[in-house]
Amino acid sequence: MRVILFTWEFPPRIVGQLAHYVNRLAVELIKKNVDVYVVAYHDSWVGIHQGADGVKAYRISDKVKPQINILTWMLSLNQEAERAAADIYYSVKHEVNLIDVYDWHLIPAAVTLKKALGVPFVFSVDSIEPHRSRSSGGSLSLSIRSIESLGVSEAMRIIVKSEWMKQELKRYYNAQENTIDIVSACSATWTDEVLAIYEKGLKVSVN
Amino acid sequence: MSRQLRILMLSWEFPPRTVGGIAAHLFNLSRELVKLGVTTYVVTCDFPGALEREVVNGAHVVRVDSYKTPSPDFATWDSLMNVNLQKEAATLISSLSRQVDIIHAHDWLVANAALGLKHVFRIPLVATVHSTEMSRRNGLHTDYERMIHQTERWLSHESWRVICCSQYMSEQVRRIYGLTQDRVKVIQNGVDSSVYEQEFERTKFRKRFASPEEKIVLFVGRLVYEKGAQILVGAMPKILSRVNAKFVVVGEGGMKDSLMQQVRNMRLTHKIMFTGFLDEESLRKLYQIADVCVVPSLYEPFGITALEAMAAKTPLVASNSGGLSEIVEHDRTGTKVHPGNADSVAWGVTKVLLDSGYANWIRHNAYQKALEVYDWTKIAKETKEFYERILQEYDGGSWKPT
Repeated sequence: MRVILFTWEFPPRIVGQLAHYVNRLAVELIKKNVDVYVVAYHDSWVGIHQGADGVKAYRISDKVKPQINILTWMLSLNQEAERAAADIYYSVKHEVNLIDVYDWHLIPAAVTLKKALGVPFVFSVDSIEPHRSRSSGGSLSLSIRSIESLGVSEAMRIIVKSEWMKQELKRYYNAQENTIDIVSACSATWTDEVLAIYEKGLKVSVN
Repeated sequence: MSRQLRILMLSWEFPPRTVGGIAAHLFNLSRELVKLGVTTYVVTCDFPGALEREVVNGAHVVRVDSYKTPSPDFATWDSLMNVNLQKEAATLISSLSRQVDIIHAHDWLVANAALGLKHVFRIPLVATVHSTEMSRRNGLHTDYERMIHQTERWLSHESWRVICCSQYMSEQVRRIYGLTQDRVKVIQNGVDSSVYEQEFERTKFRKRFASPEEKIVLFVGRLVYEKGAQILVGAMPKILSRVNAKFVVVGEGGMKDSLMQQVRNMRLTHKIMFTGFLDEESLRKLYQIADVCVVPSLYEPFGITALEAMAAKTPLVASNSGGLSEIVEHDRTGTKVHPGNADSVAWGVTKVLLDSGYANWIRHNAYQKALEVYDWTKIAKETKEFYERILQEYDGGSWKPT
């Protein structure tokens, strides 16, 4: 199996917990014979780089500077994510099984890649906008919610870390019960669980 | 080359959604490309009452949800609109089994969608740069403007080649985006003169704007600084001291209030009419009954208004700036005046209004030029050849997916 992980943080760029989480997942998946590429944002360290742990990280940077807010920034960065994913896709003779997208930042790219190349995606939800901007009904926050909603409706599977988040996705984005899986990062077998979800999802999507 | 060409155009406007000049450009170009056997798709924003999918003069038009949730500002809205535009264009290209040869983007407003599509499908991208942020704003003063400028630059650099509608624009684009000469191709804008040939009751229509003894001086354009309506208004007293005329100003924009104040200060409100936006049919008729059309722009990448006047056989007074200076030959196809100079505009307008022999001479020559040079069939042929040349290069390279 070959997967691409989309994340806006990956070591050495560490914003929150996500960078370490994605890195650990990539390393563990490689041990289980999955060919893993990570497409991640980095301001200056761009291009493809394979570490000793076998992770192939393809770092992308924004081509447009300055930006006026996080949305214009992310939405132009998405084009670079598409370029990186397409470069991987064509270099491995179209054999990419799925993309696993961490949070909303690169959802638009994943949706286009699904429509264009038929590569499905998993939406891995760490946090959602209604919680991050709890009191904000501002237009920027509403726009981010619309992207999260797009991710929920277009994803092959959705992975969350708790039953609570599962209920929140159902409440805010009308997510379907049977599309959401819970994987606790505290579980000893969590990478097996993620892999099983990939396989289950692909089986359903192929059928 | 006998290859069956398939082109996908991306634009934020296509009739009936008409904001600026790109809608008309695409409407005409797509129709003429279809006549030349080019399969043409246009993916664009939706519009109330317009069909999601329809065939317009042979071109397949797909209108996508232009994103209706409130956005903080225009540029952010545009980014979000591009998410939908790209998603639907990707779906369309897939449904056509990727049988699209060229993606053709019009201006920065569709840059995001175009760039992503280029890479995921590995289809050559071309862009027409209709105008630049640097010129629209007369410099780059804020991060907002710099962001748009950098987006234009990115789009230009990612394009196989860039099309500009005038030599003036081509030089500007090369200079401000740092493109080499071989990357920029000039293909003129066009005009459809047949739309100015319909019959109507001229006297009755004219009464809506002026009394029979008044000459009509027409201005068409957005009421923004660079279009120069304030220069024409400034020329009113001098013109009116020699000719009885009515000034008809068509268009909207941020300067409307200050223009009206300028007129009130001169006590000339009875000599000018601000029509606001006019429907297309009325505008076409207005061109035909006007005694002179004035294009006093300080900056003009191309000057479509001048072309419309030429096609409608309206004598033209235009400032010697940007793309206009290429269209208008002084004393032959129009009267050229100094940009930003009200006295010069007054001189030009008075000359045309008082000398009917001269007015007929420039009117006739301008019409012939519109037919011969700014003909959409000719422009579509040049565009098709341009596409074919790019495809030859693309076919010979290794970027093309196998």
